[in-house]
Amino acid sequence: MPTNRRSFLILTLVVVCGALGTLVWTSFTGSLVYFRTPTEIQEQAATTKSGQKIRIGGMVQEGSLVKEPGTLKIRFIVTDGKSQLPVRYDGMTPDLFREGQGVIVEGPWQPNQDFVATSILAKHSEDYIPVEMTQEGIARSKESMLRTLK
Amino acid sequence: MWIEIAHFSTIIALLLALLQVAAPLVGVGLQRPVWIRVGRQAAFVIAALLTLATVGLTLSFLHHDFSVKYVAEHASRSLPIFYLVTALWGGHEGSLLFWAWLLALFTAIAVWWHWSTHGRTIPWILAILGVVNSGFLVLVLFLSSPFERLLQPPFDGRDLNPLLQDPGMVFHPPFLYMGYVGFAIPFAFAMAALINGRISDEWILATRRWTLFSWAMLSTGIIFGAYWAYYELGWGGYWAWDPVENASFMPWLIGTAFLHSVMVQERRRMFKIWNLFLIITTFALSLLGTFLVRSGVLSSVHAFASDPGRGVYILMFMAVVLIFSFGLLVFRSDRLRTEVRLESPFSMEAAFLFNNLFLVIAGVTVLLGTLYPLAVETLGNSKVTVGAPYYNKVFIPIMLGTLLLMGVGPLLAWRGADGARLFERLKKPLAAGLAGLVACIFLGVNHPYGVATVGLLLFVIFSHLTDVWGGVARRRTNTGESLPAAVFGLLIRNKRRYGGFMVHFGVLMMAAGFVGSGLFQEEKNLILAQGDSVVIGRWRLTFEKLIEVKGSNWNAQEGIIQVDGPGVKMTMHPQKRVYENHAMPTTEAAIFSGLREDLYIVLGDAVTENTWAFRIYRNPLVSWIWSGSMVMAMGVFFALMQGRRLGKKTV
Repeated sequence: MPTNRRSFLILTLVVVCGALGTLVWTSFTGSLVYFRTPTEIQEQAATTKSGQKIRIGGMVQEGSLVKEPGTLKIRFIVTDGKSQLPVRYDGMTPDLFREGQGVIVEGPWQPNQDFVATSILAKHSEDYIPVEMTQEGIARSKESMLRTLK
Repeated sequence: MWIEIAHFSTIIALLLALLQVAAPLVGVGLQRPVWIRVGRQAAFVIAALLTLATVGLTLSFLHHDFSVKYVAEHASRSLPIFYLVTALWGGHEGSLLFWAWLLALFTAIAVWWHWSTHGRTIPWILAILGVVNSGFLVLVLFLSSPFERLLQPPFDGRDLNPLLQDPGMVFHPPFLYMGYVGFAIPFAFAMAALINGRISDEWILATRRWTLFSWAMLSTGIIFGAYWAYYELGWGGYWAWDPVENASFMPWLIGTAFLHSVMVQERRRMFKIWNLFLIITTFALSLLGTFLVRSGVLSSVHAFASDPGRGVYILMFMAVVLIFSFGLLVFRSDRLRTEVRLESPFSMEAAFLFNNLFLVIAGVTVLLGTLYPLAVETLGNSKVTVGAPYYNKVFIPIMLGTLLLMGVGPLLAWRGADGARLFERLKKPLAAGLAGLVACIFLGVNHPYGVATVGLLLFVIFSHLTDVWGGVARRRTNTGESLPAAVFGLLIRNKRRYGGFMVHFGVLMMAAGFVGSGLFQEEKNLILAQGDSVVIGRWRLTFEKLIEVKGSNWNAQEGIIQVDGPGVKMTMHPQKRVYENHAMPTTEAAIFSGLREDLYIVLGDAVTENTWAFRIYRNPLVSWIWSGSMVMAMGVFFALMQGRRLGKKTV
């Protein structure tokens, strides 16, 4: 009897382990979201599956932010200095979201049309900018932000 | 001037920490106890010196000494005095000093406390903790110094990040660090036991209180962080599975597994290697947690690589700790064989085994999700994130499984219960759980996880109550006490067991909160003009007007919202604040906390001239998380009151 019970215990252990392991693995591989810069996504536009969730990071281009009056709909351009990606979003934006600041947009990739973001993460540089900082400081801060976004 | 005193005392503390490592080893080697005493005095003096260093840095903050780089970067003249004091742990450098200071204090307390009772292990404990603290002090002094001066001091500092100017964030780091550092003591005892080869259960008995204390601090720290995220960040949630949060959650998961599995070693002398493995892992994850958050590696591997000094040192330090401790474990593993075998799948031991399995897999899940993106980024050129859906998919089943075990646990006996008796004890809790399931389906809860949680919650509550009730009944027949006296007497007699029960109740409340807010949250994005009304759930909201408000170091736009709810009439004030010295606005959500649900209002930007955007959440049961955590903390302190348990063994 004891050996019988023991093998039952080991069997349960193996089954539970296997089930949990499968759960972790399938959830994990299904939840990976790749991060691209506008340049990268344009290079890989052909190989990226339509509808696949991705993140795109860069700066909100100065002068590109357009708000549709009376709604929360906005359009803007994410740039990494080389390429640009038009983005649309409907909803409240984070506090740190503004032109010239770093941003990460997440949403399903659809080739050959505007990127429709389902969520926006604003990011500011680690050496963040006090109000009366010099032009040089702002430039350095932007550079460091682009570096961390990469 | 104070900063030089602080700097100088930290330098001396490092030298003494090296002495704290060397002297006891010499003492053991030469059989000269006087050297061990030298190590002990060194530990005491280090604690005093680092206290002085911490005070010195704090005074520099209070004096607005902006010639100190760390002060200039984390404070300003307009910062309130409370945040001036707590800005000490507002950045990397200060936090690391704070860590070292806590470790020195805990070392001193441990040495003072265990000196006469654990004389043979003390030298090793001194040496091990000395090594850890030297590691930290080298980091503080040479790679991440809070004592650096600026040649041209600015007139005003850069100010503390406004998001950190919140009571939740003030208490979050110290509690977290007390948890992290606290696990160093059981770790040191475990290492000492491995080194001197006296691997009995002594190290577990000696460190029971340390473990409980650290676990409670870590739990409280994590909850403070969640509370801060909920009240300050304004996104309606409290836990985002952000790597920074995960970093503190991993040691908690493995620490919880350790807390449970030591009981098996105490009672049945099993799981010896496993317990050592768990405590080493817990401490290693505590170090990893500190380093992940404090090294900048998480914001980006590339940013991290551009300033590699600190990172490389940290990696090497961790490698040394891991190789040494696991190497020692392997080296001694032949002495750790146990003859006791697990006999029955329906025994307490087996329940603990599965509990550990669940918690460790949970820990691996978080570790995978946190480190995989870092690995991809370091090895390849692409960047990847693992989002909240991954964790939610894995964690809800694991949580439900753990709840099931929690319910079965008290009904089982060591070595295995016989079937008939087990079924007898299972009957009531099982009936309660099933009743809960049926009631849920009737009430229209249609989410399978929601239904399962309610059933399991009732099952666990009743299994615990059945156990307490059985004890009370036995006590009354034996002593003839009145009912209240019997309940009180029972709880007091075994504070450890019933403290554990209280912790379980706290966990149940929190689980209810997690599931309630996680599965049934409602979010609405609205545009409101002054005078507009809107009905959300049981609430009727009227946006009255928008006003300007001024605080000590901020200005804000504030929405005035009249709220009519069942039995309450109130005004809520969501704000958008702009702090002096900062261009960026921050959100102050207006939150009404109720037993059933929270109403959570966030003010957005102006949409047209007199309409504003609002985001409104109904978060069911969130307040249960906070109150559950308090019950949990009370349970731990109840259990802590029990001294060393007198050996009742079931071998």
